[in-house]
Amino acid sequence: MGVDTILTDGIIPAPVRRRPEALLQVEQLSIDIATRDANVRLVDNVSFGIGRGERVALVGESGSGKSVTAQALMRLNSRVKLSGRVNFDGKDLLSLSPSQMAAMRGQRMGMVFQDPMSSLDPLMTIGDQVAETLRIRGISKRNARQRALDVLDELKVERAAERLDSFPHEFSGGMRQRVVLAMALVGEPDLLIADEPTTALDVRVQERVLDLLDEISRRRSLAVLLITHDMGIVAGFADRVMVMYSGRIVEENEATLLFAEPQHPYTRGLLEAVPRADVTVDRLRSIPGAPPVPAARPSGCTFHPRCDRAMAICSSVEPGEAITPSGARVRCHLYGAG
Amino acid sequence: MAYLRLISQRLVMTVLTLWGLATLVFIMIKLIPGDEAQVAAGPGANPEQVASVAKRLGLDLPVLQQYLNFLLRMLRGDLGTSVVSSKPVLTELAAVLPSTIELMIFASIIGTLIAFPMALVAASYRGKAFDGIARIVAVTGGAMPAFWLALMLQFFFGNVWRITPISGQHSFGIASPNVTGMPTLDALLAGDIPAFLDALAYLILPAFVFAIPFAAQVFRLLRASLLGVLASDMMLPVRAKGASTSRMVLRHALPNSLLPTVSLMGVLVGGMVGGAILVETVFARRGVGSFLANSVALKDTYAVLGAVMFVGIAVCLVNLVADIITLMLDPRIRGTQFGAGAK
Amino acid sequence: MTLVLPTASPRRKANFTAYELTVFGVVAALFLLALIGPMIAPADIYTSNMLETLFPPSAEHWLGTDDQGRDIFWRLIAGSQLSLFATVLVVILYSIIGMIVATLATVGPRWVDELLMRVTDIGLSLPGLVVSLGIATVLGPSLQSGIIALALTGWPMTARILRTTMRQTMEQPFVEGARILGVSRTRLMLKHVLPNSLDVLIVKWAGDISFTMLILAGLSFIGVGAQPPSPEWGAMISGARGNMSIAWWAVAAPGAAIVINAVAFALLADILQVRRDPSLRA
Ligand SMILES: Nc1ncnc2c1ncn2[C@@H]1O[C@H](COP(=O)(O)OP(=O)(O)OP(=O)(O)O)[C@@H](O)[C@H]1O
Ligand code: SF4
Ligand SMILES: [Mg+2]
Repeated sequence: MGVDTILTDGIIPAPVRRRPEALLQVEQLSIDIATRDANVRLVDNVSFGIGRGERVALVGESGSGKSVTAQALMRLNSRVKLSGRVNFDGKDLLSLSPSQMAAMRGQRMGMVFQDPMSSLDPLMTIGDQVAETLRIRGISKRNARQRALDVLDELKVERAAERLDSFPHEFSGGMRQRVVLAMALVGEPDLLIADEPTTALDVRVQERVLDLLDEISRRRSLAVLLITHDMGIVAGFADRVMVMYSGRIVEENEATLLFAEPQHPYTRGLLEAVPRADVTVDRLRSIPGAPPVPAARPSGCTFHPRCDRAMAICSSVEPGEAITPSGARVRCHLYGAG
Repeated sequence: MAYLRLISQRLVMTVLTLWGLATLVFIMIKLIPGDEAQVAAGPGANPEQVASVAKRLGLDLPVLQQYLNFLLRMLRGDLGTSVVSSKPVLTELAAVLPSTIELMIFASIIGTLIAFPMALVAASYRGKAFDGIARIVAVTGGAMPAFWLALMLQFFFGNVWRITPISGQHSFGIASPNVTGMPTLDALLAGDIPAFLDALAYLILPAFVFAIPFAAQVFRLLRASLLGVLASDMMLPVRAKGASTSRMVLRHALPNSLLPTVSLMGVLVGGMVGGAILVETVFARRGVGSFLANSVALKDTYAVLGAVMFVGIAVCLVNLVADIITLMLDPRIRGTQFGAGAK
Repeated sequence: MTLVLPTASPRRKANFTAYELTVFGVVAALFLLALIGPMIAPADIYTSNMLETLFPPSAEHWLGTDDQGRDIFWRLIAGSQLSLFATVLVVILYSIIGMIVATLATVGPRWVDELLMRVTDIGLSLPGLVVSLGIATVLGPSLQSGIIALALTGWPMTARILRTTMRQTMEQPFVEGARILGVSRTRLMLKHVLPNSLDVLIVKWAGDISFTMLILAGLSFIGVGAQPPSPEWGAMISGARGNMSIAWWAVAAPGAAIVINAVAFALLADILQVRRDPSLRA
């Protein structure tokens, strides 16, 4: 299998298929955090792109660095140190001043977080919270309120006009997640980062929220980076999938191809563990062992202690990136001499 | 109805607390060394007088009966009689209470004006020089003995530099007619600005003595809870909206930190009544504290215990009010009472 | 994620900052001073010398003399034992009461817990200084009365905190395991739950010492605590107050001694607290 792959150590040949015009281009992004005793690398040399209107999923076990990566794109976490390049619509986000970066947030890129219960300010009305994105930009109270109302209508919040002045505790989980979505969408961003937006919700509500997101993303031609544990969601929603393991992207491909021909042993493990689409990654049992903690990653391929195809080289040499005939970008010694 | 239920819970707790305090005071009265009737009748009383006092106070009854009588007396507002002045303790305290309240109000205002800006700036610039210095200043300010601070401020500002008056509540001959018992308010009511400023000058040092530890505690709690809110999940979406630090602190962290801070302020204002014993004595101000201190000095144990009961009631009421304000600030509780969205 | 095994985190190295080490050093020095103070102080600090009253600070009397001609510096040194140890004694006494109450509330039946916690709530909402004042007055003014009064009013907070942690500890797996193995309730309590809950108290103690020292000095100042000629610091301030206008240092010095102690312990409390909860760090 490894014979006919193209070896790309460092240099990635231009992909064959046509991609939508690039909106976000992440190059060699690394994320470090200074702990009391040492510097810990949470995310290591990650590169990927997202096109305009494209829907990309980022999957991986808990602790693999998905949230850290997502937050780095908006520079939300001031405790971590970022290096590399994050190019958004021609601007290098990592070199913007704090106020320039603040101007990007909400306006050009929005973000939704996992838990709608704790994502809202319990002491501020729904209307004020949704309108806040616009108020920050100096839009008048009345206009901001009207646009907040429009977005809530767009998200099918019933009787939105009456409920603008309610407080979060008066809303159900699903309704709160729509409010959280509205907060991210009201500024009409080009990119929406959704970090496990439905994990905290029950299945029926999950589906409805995702359908809404799907609809809006199409209508607005909104690019979405969807972070999830749930392979079932990925299949129905994403154009492209990236698999993250221990702070690195180990496989990336178009969604249909990735599901049809998973290449990396980790991806295969993930998918084998998901015989039915409604089983989430975190309930799978087929990959033995636990992912490493960032402070103590195994040498060589960080997956080797758990890999059923591990070879001698795997424990000492880190695999480079290779592109397989199916178009997958993979980091594994099975696909190259590296 | 959650709102009413919570308030009635607090009310029941307040009543229980006062009952506990009354029991404590009763036990203390029983523990006073020497014959209670003899003490109550005064040192020079002859046996017949002592016996009649014993009868009048119901001291010949069984202890349980005495206890019930005592509770009934407390319910009627009878806190006992001062042996020294022969006046009811309640009457004497009611006369000096406004002066103590005036002092506490001023101290809380000054303390709040110091603590809030300090905490807001420290939390916004966490880890910067201001934050570090402010924290050490707060720890130091909270560790000052109030009476000593009072003595030192009084000596330097009053005696040495002569910036402020030394003691008392107003200059001789300047007092406005006594309406409320608070010299500043009385002066305002009389429309007498010079008298108001005069009373204010007398108030400033004692108020500062209270304000410093008050501000220290409020600062520490407010800073910690601001940082807690800023670090919570709630703030990531706000940051993702593009909010500036000042907006995050003022619009989100501050309202959410107000609840715990207001209840702490209630507790601290209650605690000031205790501190008043020391500070009012030093500044020779009329007040509940100096009444207590005087009674201690005169060994007027009944007056002391009556005043303890009184202060206990006052503190419980302050705490109750702070609790109710806290409840009202929270829409999660308020909403269920007043209906959602009504503006 | 469910696959994650608990990895043994390496015991965090202590590495203290210079500031933290300074505070630890000062606290240790204060304890040492309290221990040896009365031994190294000259005997004449207890007798009056009417020829040397109210001298200002000088090379011979570093902090001057008081109205009895006694050297203030050495009286402070000698008095540090009374002031600090009495404070520590108060904290120990009410911690013991608090521990007993919390233990009873945790092991006892529900109604005992309910009753003790209501009593604790009542104790918490009473003004401690004022009630102590009442108790000390009834007991008759003396340092012992002050100590007893503060011990009797100080315990509720300890009981409340300790009971909460004990409840949490009781629910941990190892306690459950021990119970299944047939370890008796009392033994479990004394050998496991109580020690496990104590580290919460250690942080509290430093702050308590700071706070209690202020109150104890306050009681002495009002006149229900230590009585002159005791070199207890509150009593020294009380005694020197009358001569403030001619010898302010006699008031300032003991107060400064209290401040140094109270601040040192408050800073210690702050450090310990931040170490437990790093989110508070500056
Ligand atoms: N502030 C921090 N300090 C130290 N380590 C951190 C910090 N934040 C995150 N990490 C570590 O970074 C790694 C990646 O965390 P991240 O939250 O991105 O994982 P995730 O893939 O989003 O997992 P989940 O599916 O549970 O959300 C984890 O091992 C986590 O322990
Ligand atoms: S590099 Fe080796 S250990 Fe790593 S995934 Fe590939 S085969 Fe497995
Ligand atoms: Mg995550």
